Amino acid sequence: MNSANEYTLRTQLERSNAVRSNIKKLYIYVVLVLIVAVFSVVKLGQVEFFGRGHFLSPDSIINLLRSAVPILTLSGAFTLLMISGYIDLSVGSAMSLSAVVFSWLILNGVSFLPAFLVTLVMGISLGFLNGLLVMKLRITPVIATLVTLNLFKGIALLIVPHGLSAIKGSATKLMPAWINDYARLDVLLGLPWAFYVAILVIVVLVIVQRKTILGKYAAAVGGNRTSAELSGINAVKLVWLLYIIVGFFAALAGMARASYMSLGDPLSGDGMELDCIIAVLLGGTAFSGGEGSVAKTIVGALIIVCLTTGLMTVIPAFWQTMAKGSVLIAAVVLNHLLVREKVKA
Amino acid sequence: METRLERKKMIGGRMSNESFITLFMIGVLVVLFGVSCAIVPRFYLPQNMINLLTNNWYIIMLGIGVTFLLITGNFDMSVGGVIAMTGVLSVWFCQDATASQNALAVGLGLPYGVAIALALLCAMGIGAINAFFIARLKVPSIIITLGTMMIARGVAQIVAQGAQRNTSLPDVFGVLGGLTIPGMSIKLSVLVMAILVVAAFVFEKKTVAGRRTYLIGANSVAARLSGVNVRRHLTSLFIISSLLAGITGILLSSEFKAGGSSRAMGYEFDALVISLLGGVSIAGGFGSVLGMFVGAVILSVVTSAATGLLLSPDWQFTIKGVVTFIAILAQRFALDKRKG
Repeated sequence: MNSANEYTLRTQLERSNAVRSNIKKLYIYVVLVLIVAVFSVVKLGQVEFFGRGHFLSPDSIINLLRSAVPILTLSGAFTLLMISGYIDLSVGSAMSLSAVVFSWLILNGVSFLPAFLVTLVMGISLGFLNGLLVMKLRITPVIATLVTLNLFKGIALLIVPHGLSAIKGSATKLMPAWINDYARLDVLLGLPWAFYVAILVIVVLVIVQRKTILGKYAAAVGGNRTSAELSGINAVKLVWLLYIIVGFFAALAGMARASYMSLGDPLSGDGMELDCIIAVLLGGTAFSGGEGSVAKTIVGALIIVCLTTGLMTVIPAFWQTMAKGSVLIAAVVLNHLLVREKVKA
Repeated sequence: METRLERKKMIGGRMSNESFITLFMIGVLVVLFGVSCAIVPRFYLPQNMINLLTNNWYIIMLGIGVTFLLITGNFDMSVGGVIAMTGVLSVWFCQDATASQNALAVGLGLPYGVAIALALLCAMGIGAINAFFIARLKVPSIIITLGTMMIARGVAQIVAQGAQRNTSLPDVFGVLGGLTIPGMSIKLSVLVMAILVVAAFVFEKKTVAGRRTYLIGANSVAARLSGVNVRRHLTSLFIISSLLAGITGILLSSEFKAGGSSRAMGYEFDALVISLLGGVSIAGGFGSVLGMFVGAVILSVVTSAATGLLLSPDWQFTIKGVVTFIAILAQRFALDKRKG
């Protein structure tokens, strides 16, 4: 092959790579805007733009953001773990268990701050257990966390008294009204404390991922664990710490859910692991780890929340499972096309 | 016969790790059973033993497919959803087309045989989707099969409108699930399970394809380079796994004369648990159907002993989780000791 030919070939390749990386950078925002646009238009026939009941009405946006709090709180830490090449399928159950423990404590007369701290400590220990099983006892992450998924769910079901579906106030024992204060009370712009905590969490985690050693090391371990260890990173401790962080934020998310619903539902976190995985995959994090972005996961999380909320107004509830499954598969395919191909090129 | 024995001696006369683990788990089973007999009243009765072996037939049927896939290093989490889907679809296909006003009572009015065949075909379709993404696009199996689990259950929910279909069915619908073996209280479903387990055992030990499964699990690149069509093999395994789940779904829906969209919730986890209890390793290339069967019996001994000790059924999740972790760690410990 002569050099001119080779040159054009290479420029073509570079150009297609550039196009692809631009698509990769931008597609997630386009998807978000498209989804919002579609749901706005679907409802447009009935009510005026930004009016009451419209997808883009202030009420509905505030509602949407409030219901987005758990996934916003959790998916950032989940991304860090996925960047390091590991996975935690137990986050949903950890959330449920935290919600149950938190509302059980409050129902039994513990005040907010102690209950909050105890639940956080419990979340940390759940993450610690996952880390122990995966990193120290070397059980495959998927299996270990799938079993703890059922373990945590089982414990949550055990705490709920027999015959009840959730921890909630009864005639003899009232749930204090202030359980709502954290995730429902209007603090600023109609949004509650939990939302601003979630924003703070996101900001911190974006900085952690981009600017700190923890973020760099996580990517290094995800890229190639052996070479990361050879260059002096203690992968066991690092990933263990990430599991603990995920457990911590799962507890935080669970409390937001419990405070929002003012009850502790042992099934309230079901499926959160799938939502997190979809958000992470939409955000372009490679499934095998090594690269990814917390900020984009958050956009992915917003996409899921918009879809779930939007679909609820358009299609019957029993279509939801199908819709979410299809979105998961679509996210995998998108991720595969955009992330994998780049590595190959 | 003699030469065969001699050859075995020449190879070393040592058991393979796989048989070792299976024997180890059989030992655990015997001990657990002994302890249960000692502390739980009426545990030793023959009827209870039969129940222990047969009550879990649906999980064991799923376990066959899940075990083979685990041996190749892949998960199949879609089996529970496929059970619900085939159950609901077989009912829907069968229901009278002109029966009544109620939308849930109106079906397609197909003959039973056709209905079953179509429902099984749909089940295999889910398997084919799994296979396409996993074997061809090399996407991690856990994610895809969780997605198809939701899609399969989603189909069930859409067709059954989030509830269940159980009216205006032909009489023939309930026959399969209601049949028992003459003279015994054992259901046809259990017989089907037994036949499938034996068939799977023969497939695993005696056929080339069965041995290839292990090769793929141990090293899929080496398997491909030595001429195994890894893609085709995985595809067949995924389709077989979904087909087995489909058969289970048909038998269950026939037994209950209904197709419910929330049927078989969490069965995929139970199937995974019994495989793990039987010593199957996700690291690949290790495990056996016999072990899986032993694992299933261990699980039913533990859960029924726990129920016998008056623990509420709410304990089930917790017990399963703890038992699985103990089993995984004990098996690894036993293998390490053996090497040691």
